Amino acid sequence: MKILAVCGLGQGTSLILRMNIEEVLNEAGVDAEVEHVDVSAASGVEADYILTSNELAQSLQGHQAKILVVNNYFDIEEIKRVLSQNRVI
Amino acid sequence: MDIVRWIATNVFGEPAILLGFIVFLGLLLQKKSISQLMSGTFKAIIGFLIIGAGASIIVNALLIFEPMWKEVFNLEGPSLGEFMGQEAFSAKYGGAVTLAMAIGFLINVFLARFTKLKYIYLTGHMMFWTTIIFAGIVVHTVGDVPFIRLVIFLSVIMGIYWTVQPALTQPFMRKIIGNDNIALGHTSASVALLGALLGKLFGNKENDSEKLKVPKGLEFLRDSNVITALTMGILFMVGAFILAGKGTPGAQELMAEAGDQSFFVYAFIQAVKFAAGISVVLMGVRMFVGELVPAFKGIATKLVPGAKPALDVPVIYPYAPNAVILGFLGAFIGALLWLVVIGKTVAYVFVPTMIVLFFHGAAAGVFGNATGGVRGALLGGFMTATVVAWGQFVMVRMLIGDTIPDTAMWAADSDMFILGPVIRFLAQLFF
Repeated sequence: MKILAVCGLGQGTSLILRMNIEEVLNEAGVDAEVEHVDVSAASGVEADYILTSNELAQSLQGHQAKILVVNNYFDIEEIKRVLSQNRVI
Repeated sequence: MDIVRWIATNVFGEPAILLGFIVFLGLLLQKKSISQLMSGTFKAIIGFLIIGAGASIIVNALLIFEPMWKEVFNLEGPSLGEFMGQEAFSAKYGGAVTLAMAIGFLINVFLARFTKLKYIYLTGHMMFWTTIIFAGIVVHTVGDVPFIRLVIFLSVIMGIYWTVQPALTQPFMRKIIGNDNIALGHTSASVALLGALLGKLFGNKENDSEKLKVPKGLEFLRDSNVITALTMGILFMVGAFILAGKGTPGAQELMAEAGDQSFFVYAFIQAVKFAAGISVVLMGVRMFVGELVPAFKGIATKLVPGAKPALDVPVIYPYAPNAVILGFLGAFIGALLWLVVIGKTVAYVFVPTMIVLFFHGAAAGVFGNATGGVRGALLGGFMTATVVAWGQFVMVRMLIGDTIPDTAMWAADSDMFILGPVIRFLAQLFF
């Protein structure tokens, strides 16, 4: 399973999101490859799930991955909730 | 002695290897799996090497942008002249920069552990740019410097800066995000504080930017590749049209560089190449920072109980998305104004790097809005352009001209401009 963490520049914020996703997956014992990228690069990368903000989710529509919206990249509880609602964990 | 020299040349003298080693150590300390060790170490090394490749694409586009606008303004001023450039500078001082980043981070962790400033700086890409720009200032100021002393000088300054900067912005951060859990760790701190100050003086807090409706059509502004290509595209095209209209010998010479191709198509491609170069550099930075930061974060959180992460600037954007757009708008208007004013007065061609203007202008916008509403956000953005434009002129012409002015033109930003003269002064004292 491959998950993308996406932000506008693909540098800092998406990296934090990636680390938080990895923490949640780790806790749940789920094995997945998580990568962080900027929104332009993300549209050309194959993945199973993309986690990003509401605004960027609009511009990623049509991507073969399932797009999951996270409002607060720093809220571990929200990330956990989003991932479990979509049966990732 | 042979072993020492071998290590000095092949490990400390080869930043990519040193970086790989640091990441390897960080992952090992956290008892990561073999597979994570291997992929982390290699990705860090590849990432570092990609940066040099991207930097040369950017420089090639800048070498067209600069003479073009010089001709537009009829400037006779000094050109960039001889300089080392990112690739040569990195080959010579990259090891010291890499090591200073690592030791600077450890100093940050140490200060957070034993003082009241409990902030751990985690914005790895800014750690890299700030350290390399400061190294560029030191080498420009005092010439060739010994490895060990450069590492000591930089790591102490970086360690202190990474600890104190989040503390300075935290009072406003608490106001913006409503809690004390995270801090701002970004080189836009100075313009953010300026934005907050100007907002307080001239703004009206009641007129909150979040009451405005922002058109959906502005959403593309969140994609940095698009803004950069678009703005540089417009600037190159405007420059090309003016040159075509002028028909002076200088203009004809520049237009001849396009060869058989239309000069406008040529200019447009150069603009997009500039954006492509930035995208390549950022990919490299993403690869090595993506390995370095998790390796460091694990160590920091184990060592410092109650540490607050100081994070990249987009963390504050969700709290005032309209102020983000207003801040950028203020910065963009300011940048165009300063492009003309600086060109006409001090004969310097300002490179308005959209990444810097967007991220810093937006930060100043959010801080400005917190104290002065819409007017505060716009003023904060305008102030950002002012610092970035004049700062770039002072940095490129006076602080870093021999070393990496090419990098400073697009990767140096607000805090580095404000601290630049201080670094120069300290370098004169220390070396």
